[in-house]
Amino acid sequence: MNFQLTEEQELIRKNIREFAAKYVEPIAAEIDENERHPTELFKKLAEGGWMGIPIPTQYGGSGADYLTNAIVVEEISRSCSSTGFTVSIHVGIACMLILLFGNEEQKKKYLVPLAKGEHMGAFVLTEPGAGTDVMAATTTAAKDGDFYVLNGTKTFISNGPLADTYLVFCWTDKAAGRKGMSSFIIPRGTPGLIPGEHFHKMGLRSSQTSEVVFKDCRVHKDNLLGKEGAGLTNAMTGFDHGRVGIAAQSVGILQAALDESIRYSKERVQMGNPIARHQAISWMIADMATDLEAARFLTYHAAWLKDQGKPFSKEASMAKLFAAEKAMHHTIKAVQIHGGYGYIKGAKVERLMRDAKITEIYEGTSEAQRMVISGNVLR
Amino acid sequence: MAGVWVLGENREQLFELLSIGRSLADRYGTTLVAFAFQDAQAARDCIAHGADRAVVLKYKGQEGPLDVFLPAIVEEVKGKDPDMLLIASTYKLKELAARIAERLKAGLCSDCIRLVFNEGEKSVEMERLMYGGSAIQRVVCLSRPAMATIPPGTFEKAEAGSGRVKEGDVDEIVQTHESAVTILERKVRERESKDIREARTVICVGRGFEKKEDIKLAEELATVLRGEIAGTRPVTEEMHWLPESRCIGLSGIQVRPDLYIGLGVSGQIQHVTGLRDAKVICAVNRDANAPIFGVSDLGIVGDLYDVVPKLVDELKKGL
Amino acid sequence: MLDIIVCFKWVVDEAFIRRTSSGDLDFSSVDYKISEYDRNAIEAAVRLREECGGSVTAVTVGPPEAAKGVKDALSRGPDRAVFAEDPLFGGLDPSQTAAVLGQVISSKTPFNLIICGEGSGDVYSQQTGPRLAEFLGIPCAAYVQKLTVKEGRVTAERKVEGFIEVDSLPLPALVTVLPDIATPRIPGVKDTLMASKKAVIKVGKNELTAVPPPLLKTKSVRAARVERECEKFTAEVEDIKRFVAALQKRGVLK
Repeated sequence: MNFQLTEEQELIRKNIREFAAKYVEPIAAEIDENERHPTELFKKLAEGGWMGIPIPTQYGGSGADYLTNAIVVEEISRSCSSTGFTVSIHVGIACMLILLFGNEEQKKKYLVPLAKGEHMGAFVLTEPGAGTDVMAATTTAAKDGDFYVLNGTKTFISNGPLADTYLVFCWTDKAAGRKGMSSFIIPRGTPGLIPGEHFHKMGLRSSQTSEVVFKDCRVHKDNLLGKEGAGLTNAMTGFDHGRVGIAAQSVGILQAALDESIRYSKERVQMGNPIARHQAISWMIADMATDLEAARFLTYHAAWLKDQGKPFSKEASMAKLFAAEKAMHHTIKAVQIHGGYGYIKGAKVERLMRDAKITEIYEGTSEAQRMVISGNVLR
Repeated sequence: MAGVWVLGENREQLFELLSIGRSLADRYGTTLVAFAFQDAQAARDCIAHGADRAVVLKYKGQEGPLDVFLPAIVEEVKGKDPDMLLIASTYKLKELAARIAERLKAGLCSDCIRLVFNEGEKSVEMERLMYGGSAIQRVVCLSRPAMATIPPGTFEKAEAGSGRVKEGDVDEIVQTHESAVTILERKVRERESKDIREARTVICVGRGFEKKEDIKLAEELATVLRGEIAGTRPVTEEMHWLPESRCIGLSGIQVRPDLYIGLGVSGQIQHVTGLRDAKVICAVNRDANAPIFGVSDLGIVGDLYDVVPKLVDELKKGL
Repeated sequence: MLDIIVCFKWVVDEAFIRRTSSGDLDFSSVDYKISEYDRNAIEAAVRLREECGGSVTAVTVGPPEAAKGVKDALSRGPDRAVFAEDPLFGGLDPSQTAAVLGQVISSKTPFNLIICGEGSGDVYSQQTGPRLAEFLGIPCAAYVQKLTVKEGRVTAERKVEGFIEVDSLPLPALVTVLPDIATPRIPGVKDTLMASKKAVIKVGKNELTAVPPPLLKTKSVRAARVERECEKFTAEVEDIKRFVAALQKRGVLK
């Protein structure tokens, strides 16, 4: 048993914390309010190698491990969970899937600019009628010689309006069932790939979300990611990686809720004492700190398993389920601790509470996680 | 021979060192000697202010780097064996003190703010701040002489006594060496605007200001203190007198400067949360009951329109 | 070509020091960091190398735990590090630190210019730099906020009360620098990973001629104050004077 991060991991955490405090925290409220994708910030993230942490250097990445990536997503999310999430989905799903399933040529062409942070990636799976039920998807890719022709509508696509590289999942042979879905790498600008307008959301507002519509979109078979029919397996692998990221994002939100609650409760005086001395408040903070610690260990453990080359699907789901639900639970408490001030726009806890909700929904709802976990333990 | 020796760049510094020096010299049962640079009159005045003897360190020609006196001072110490050297903590003297200490192999307490004479050991225990001001370190020098640098303003100035000055009380030591360093020029400091989170000094504008144009008062103060201007939420986000990037508080940013001065800031909790980690918090407010005084180290109860110009004048004299 | 030495210290991060209810200092959950002033000094050294060519060697004296600090320093751009390491090196006084640095530098690293932070973030004695210059017998300028090197001389803009003095020093020389000298970079991921691959020359206590005895003894360290007690002043000129004196006493009028 070794609960010690490496010196490098510790130093990288300090550095990203400093980066987030300097460049992310000051704009977090503004980009939330204006639903703005902070291009200038992502340029800085790219320069520091933060957009491709676990990708080997020969593919434009930084060559660190997946645990380091989780730590970085956590620390960025502590300042701004929209930004943390954008890094998470870009690295954890878009980059990782090409790294794991792409051929050498695809890695050179698509992964290198993604891992360098010059391009943004998107994971294009969800459809209006197919959320948790992936098999209900209707988007198809019909074979036409060396080409496939895609038709259908995808929705709730993070980075949808601005991605350079889309990883698209659709049926190549619906009759083949679980073996009938395939995945494609499709660059922005391909005729027939139509990104939609940004959706206005309750939280995570600076993350850009939209529909992506395919209308007779012709792609060459060289754009197939992995073999034909491997789409569903690829998507599930993507989810495993992505969920560690969402868990890390939730841990960051929880940490921020705790930071804010501690600071405010020591400062705010009611009935002659700082409210931190009132048991009703101090116990809320004790529970928050305990759940944070548990969520963090679950998350780091899942990432560590991945780095050890061990199965981590169940652990990723557990971490994601637990961290997300605790983030939601405790951000509500953090607002409660702040009272009226926490309900005012501009208070950080107000944003944290809105941002927390999505972690229970995307990359598999809490219910979907329970399906994965129960499926594993009841086997 | 022994003695307590004091060294300062100007008479204010010397007079302050003479007051603490006098009390230590009396405890040691020894003499008090003042060292001044170039200014023989200042040296004579030191005697009026309590020194038993004064020495003026004279340049051969033009004034130059202080280290031209380094060998002479070290020789003087070696020859006369003082108990203690007290030196004003100015930028140049802090450097000189450390170099004297190194040549003498003497211990030096930097930026000493309190000296306590230990009768039993006939030694002086010295206190200074460490860990960014959060702790007080008490040290003793294991060497002879003991040395300390003392920030100007730490002690009251020694009063002048009458009829103390006699002929021949002031000795002269003329520069014996040249410095390797050449002084090329002296420039006025410029003020440049930077991120308030990085600023060592933050001047915060509150609702006590009546109109936007009056912020120039705060800017004058910021200029003398080389600080940055920030504002409370009403001043930034509501009145837009200052950019929102300069808003301190729950909805703005957290700062932890060495010095925060709130001008006309009432001290609402949302604002105070953003500055609680400042090392020294000061407030200027008309209302003696304003909450800001509850979280401040130093507070001036008064109208900022009256106080700030006086404060700027006073600071200009000292810096 | 300029061979620069930059000295740094691995110090307690004072943000993690807590105060117990009895007013003592609690170090039980402290973390360490490169002294803030030294981070700026390292940045200044690296930028000077980018301008003039040459090398940067980061030198530190500390206990074995400071190895992490060496890695941190190297991730900020120096080419190599020299680490004088001994369990006893965590508690040296400024004269001892200067003596160890001086021996290590004169035996291991040729240089033209030494850059030190103005003081360390923990003790802030501001002595190590000037003492080291004396130890090595080289010219010194302290509290420098701008540096240029040309034709064997360094031009240093140093802060003094009320104005800036521009000094010219022949190389080799030592300067201590203010934070204004350069804003430190935030190392990228690769910078941190690459730091492990750079050369670190370790020097043990037995490789030094002698570590001199301490000249200062710390009798106690206690918390500075329990909470803020507002000292009030009026708007009268005399009171304003006292207010300014109080600021000076607290060391915030730099």
